[in-house]
Amino acid sequence: MKKSSLFASASVLGLGILVNVLGASQADAAANCIKGDRKAPYTLGWANIYSVPTWMKQTQGTIEAEVEQLKKEGLVDKLVVTDAQGDANVQIQQIQSMIDADVDGIILIAGSSTAPARVLADACAKGIAIINFDSLVDTNDVTAKVNTDSHQWGEQATKFMIDALGGKGKILILNGPAGVSVSDDRRAGGNDLLKANPDIQILAETNTAYNVAPAQEAVTSLLFANPEIDGILSFGGALSAGAVLALDKQGREQVPITGENARQFLELWKEKGLKSWATMQPNWLGAFAAYTAVQALEGKDVPAFVKIPLPVIDNSNIDEYLARAKDFPADGYIFSPYDRDLFAKLLAQK
Amino acid sequence: MSHASVSSTARFGSLYWAIQAKRNIGVRGLFVVVLAFMVAYGFLFHGLFTGSGFAKFTQSWFPLALVAMAQAILMLTGGISLAIGALVSLGAVLAATTMTGPLGVAGGAALVSLVGLGIGAVTGVIVVKLRLPAIVVTLAGSFIIAGAALLVLPRPGGAIPPWLSDLLAGNTPAAFGVLVVVVLLWKLYLATPLGLSLYAAGENPVGAYRSGVPVDAARIAAYAISGLLCTGAGLFVAAQTGSGDPIIGNSFTLNSIAAAVLGGIGFLGGQGTMRGALAGSLLLSLMISVMFFLGFTPVAQYVAQGLIIIGAVAIPQFRMRAR
Repeated sequence: MKKSSLFASASVLGLGILVNVLGASQADAAANCIKGDRKAPYTLGWANIYSVPTWMKQTQGTIEAEVEQLKKEGLVDKLVVTDAQGDANVQIQQIQSMIDADVDGIILIAGSSTAPARVLADACAKGIAIINFDSLVDTNDVTAKVNTDSHQWGEQATKFMIDALGGKGKILILNGPAGVSVSDDRRAGGNDLLKANPDIQILAETNTAYNVAPAQEAVTSLLFANPEIDGILSFGGALSAGAVLALDKQGREQVPITGENARQFLELWKEKGLKSWATMQPNWLGAFAAYTAVQALEGKDVPAFVKIPLPVIDNSNIDEYLARAKDFPADGYIFSPYDRDLFAKLLAQK
Repeated sequence: MSHASVSSTARFGSLYWAIQAKRNIGVRGLFVVVLAFMVAYGFLFHGLFTGSGFAKFTQSWFPLALVAMAQAILMLTGGISLAIGALVSLGAVLAATTMTGPLGVAGGAALVSLVGLGIGAVTGVIVVKLRLPAIVVTLAGSFIIAGAALLVLPRPGGAIPPWLSDLLAGNTPAAFGVLVVVVLLWKLYLATPLGLSLYAAGENPVGAYRSGVPVDAARIAAYAISGLLCTGAGLFVAAQTGSGDPIIGNSFTLNSIAAAVLGGIGFLGGQGTMRGALAGSLLLSLMISVMFFLGFTPVAQYVAQGLIIIGAVAIPQFRMRAR
């Protein structure tokens, strides 16, 4: 009896040592930029590029909700928010201010894929956890990047369009702003397929902000110039809504169109019985970034790139999205539900 | 303030300083506001007084200071440019695509300067010789230049040699030193015949022309210098960020006008001083950092920014009228 209890305690001790060793090795495998000298509760900085678009407001909403949760858990005591008003130079200055104020973590949507590289290197060298999501930077001096695959986004949308037209037809292509990585990547994703299908004729391409009004305006003028249009390959949800409205205002027949989970587009899709395909850039990327920053600061290993799967929205599941429409702003995005289990699963993938 | 061409009397020491003091009247309020913000910033962020803290802060301000000067020169001659931001972008992408190539840093810098001077001069000739409104010419020009920047570098990329980035935007106040040199050069320029004509050409072009002032040449030179300052700012932004971005300069157009107007430069020409424009740009830059440290939310920042700008412009105006 005594012997066995001795044995038990010895094995517990052994197990304890083993756990300690494992713990230590886990700490050694700490995420990039993490030095382990920062202790909870942490101050998080949210460096937004532009707070006005509805997508950004919804994203900020998920960050604030997550931070409230983290505050309750005693892991975060403060969230500082900056808005660069679309100016990549101002964003650099604001990240510098966050470094000066010694925040523990920075979550970032970058205004330029290259411009913040040097200021981020400074932050990384100071042991600040940097989680970059949505609009990514090229540099690797961050703890983790979190995003869907913009290239894949474009490829899948283009594939749907080619299939919908049976490989032959005249299309318009609607892009986001020129010179912006997300917009360029989505467009580039469709390139190979378009080249392989020469019977798909591109009538015109537009570059507008990801908003309904400018897209509607651009498509309206293209409709005058092109009496025959078989499909609209749109690389943004608000752009799609603008295109559908433009067709509708001119009494033109609706054509197959791609898009995103923008509430307005999904509602138009249902109302007009469109032949469509859509995907989603989830707003909870913001909440996930805040969660990941704290995980990294707590010494957890965090992958350098977390790829968020792109869901497909089609006629089979659009009702699931529309059923929750009233919970979202009229000009907002109906994003899928999320919780900590989902976050843990995303972080565990390699 | 109005008889600005009097600065030719710089050799009469006391008169020079008297005139300088008189010119400051309109912007004294702004200087007080800027000083208050400086003190507040130093109080909120003690690191400002370290070498690297001062360096980083002046680096944030530097490109805005250059474009404020670029806009101020034009506004002093009665002109304006809506192509400032596009020129900054073009300068940045040219630097980022040439400096690591066969042209090298010196060749790249020369190219950036020549393109700035050239585009500025062409714009000046079109505006002055063809007598077209500057606002229309530069708006059209901004589309062409922005397109050219996207052609040079379709998406963010390129590179600047790291040693140049560290030199200009490292932990030393080199950018501040360059700014001091630029301001001294501006002072020198004002002492040349073309520089002397600048204010006269802006305030009363007909009278100046009749008095034998080379009005057209002064205005074209102003556009060329303005172009050079813009692409120079672009080069610095590229060095600061270590790369080029074809749309990085966009916001500089409006900010340059805001800084110049904040600094007491009039839209009608011949009115205002370069030190005012510089102070205006400094205030715009300081506001961003100070509001961060005060913990303003983004929405509050929008409102506060607007109020500070209105206040800094309106209060001196009211005081002038009350006099």
